[in-house]
Amino acid sequence: MLLEYFKAKKLLEAHGIKSIESAYVFSAAEALSFSKGRPIVMKVISDKALHKSKAGLVMLNLSGKDQIEEAFKTLSRKGKSLGSYRIIAQLMSPGGIEMIIGGNEDPQFGKMVLIGLGGIYVEIFRDFSMMSCPIAKKDASVMVSSLKSSKIVAGSGQAEELLEDLLMRISRLLLANPEIKELDLNPVIIHKDSYDVVDIRMIT
Amino acid sequence: MNQINYLFKPKSVAIIGASRIPGKVGNIILMNYLNEGYPGKIFLVNKNADSIMGMRSYRRVTEIKERIDSAVIAVPAEVVPAVMEDCGKAGVRSVVVVSGGFSEIGKTDLQDQIAGIAKKYGMALIGPNCLGIMDSRSRINTLFLPSYKLAKPRVGGVSFIAQSGAVGSVILDMIAGEGFGLSKFVSYGNAAGLDETDLIDYLMEDEETKVIVIYVEGIKNGRKFISMANKFKGKKPVVILKAGRTEAGSKAAHSHTASLAGNYQTNEAVFRQFGFTIANDLSDLLYFAKIFESEGEPKGNRIGIITNGGGVGVLTTDAISSSKGITLGELSKKTAEDLRKVMPVLVNIRNPLDLAGDADDKRYHDAISMMMEDPQIDMLVVIILFQTPGGDSRLASELVNMKISSDKPMVALSIGSAYTEMHKMMMEESGLPVYDSPRSVALSLEALLSFYQFRKGC
Repeated sequence: MLLEYFKAKKLLEAHGIKSIESAYVFSAAEALSFSKGRPIVMKVISDKALHKSKAGLVMLNLSGKDQIEEAFKTLSRKGKSLGSYRIIAQLMSPGGIEMIIGGNEDPQFGKMVLIGLGGIYVEIFRDFSMMSCPIAKKDASVMVSSLKSSKIVAGSGQAEELLEDLLMRISRLLLANPEIKELDLNPVIIHKDSYDVVDIRMIT
Repeated sequence: MNQINYLFKPKSVAIIGASRIPGKVGNIILMNYLNEGYPGKIFLVNKNADSIMGMRSYRRVTEIKERIDSAVIAVPAEVVPAVMEDCGKAGVRSVVVVSGGFSEIGKTDLQDQIAGIAKKYGMALIGPNCLGIMDSRSRINTLFLPSYKLAKPRVGGVSFIAQSGAVGSVILDMIAGEGFGLSKFVSYGNAAGLDETDLIDYLMEDEETKVIVIYVEGIKNGRKFISMANKFKGKKPVVILKAGRTEAGSKAAHSHTASLAGNYQTNEAVFRQFGFTIANDLSDLLYFAKIFESEGEPKGNRIGIITNGGGVGVLTTDAISSSKGITLGELSKKTAEDLRKVMPVLVNIRNPLDLAGDADDKRYHDAISMMMEDPQIDMLVVIILFQTPGGDSRLASELVNMKISSDKPMVALSIGSAYTEMHKMMMEESGLPVYDSPRSVALSLEALLSFYQFRKGC
């Protein structure tokens, strides 16, 4: 079952992983007041939708009353067609390298932690590396450096260290919470010296 | 003492289901023990015979009043439990059940039963449904394959574990065509008792084993495997080929992560995490086994190439340059000067060093010794094409001499048929690994470097 977004967000926070400021919105007015003039993202959350972007359930870079109202209307319509759904509003993250950090429970080897080139093409490029938990700092470093995309990451300030730290935290989170069977932070947007976790998906 | 040791180094063996009829499993196994000159005591057991081929035979294993270290059981599946009970009562320390007819045809109860008996008496159990064990040094051989069907590898440091008997025997036959040698072979079949993890664990501590090579369809107990692999991280090279690369994922993924982390990918990730070398094909197993058996730690990743054929030199350069980790070295100033003094004018002083088709043993000698001393070269690939005017046995024996005195990894590349094959065996049996394609050389050097780099990080 899909873990409720804010429960998942809290669980990340308990392991020292911050994610982007978010709130459920039940009307365009609520979304507008969340925005406070800042550009936002709105998306439909539903356990029926794994590929939110591909299904058109994510609308980016919205600002101002008109855009937000229009987006809320569109997303509500799409959400209704999925059955049960909620709309979440988030601050818009400035662009950066999109990575995926993940966790999985393998029936044989137990908890696995994963890092890869993220975003919407994750299953097309399939550039990822994986290890069984727990992992040490040097394992995390091997995971990052063995990616084909590590060269992109390497050019970006503290990115490697941020990712290594995230991997170790996720490995600990997975071991401390055996009920979490699958986990996606996708994408994690990497900036020069910081990151934004903009989508969280945990399956129990 | 480790119970598994009784399987490989028994002082006495019983063949249960021994037979006088040629072609029967119980006869082939008996003939193997006799032909290979197994030096320990052999006891025969057959419920219908008192004598087989002039040797005394017992009706039941319990009638043998002497100590039995290992019994090989080749009787129909339904009587295996009774025979194993007898073995337990007789104090047999280990058993190999070659008989089929257990979990592979759905009879898991029967298999659980024999696993239980082995446990009750503390007997190490290999099988059922397997070829069993071969040890080149103790000359134990439970493989029920007539010797004319597959050639026998020489004695060496490579130990091979295969879940499948068919793949196992193919590999054994292939190894015999290579110049490197075998320490131990195990085909463990359904793994009712010992599984691949127990066997790797044993071989990691086995002084006769330098390289472990494994073929598996699946790891039986993932967590046990991880704890073993973690314990021995970087201790010995382990080359693994796992079947099922293209198997479709069995569960519906609810996340991107789970859709990426298929069964094969997860296995491969775990193997890599603990420094195993991953083979993608049967031939890779041999390529990697031979480099790990003969070569030690490279000081760095820079390759030198010496050749008597320009084209193959270029192909090898391509293969090395497109590999991960390894790279072509640049000759130091001193080496270049030294080479210039001794090489004919037509030889261009560069890496790859093309000695030309008329290169003789003297030219090879100079080139190898100078490049070996070059601090900017860490590993050497020496290409000998025996089709060239200068390519003959003198070159092969010079290479072997140079190999003995070299402290850097050095491999040969020779491509060709009968005449080349003959020299390949001569060079390999003298400890110089010989490859048959630029690609296989590059893959193997990459594997060697990457294992020792992993080990350094442990």
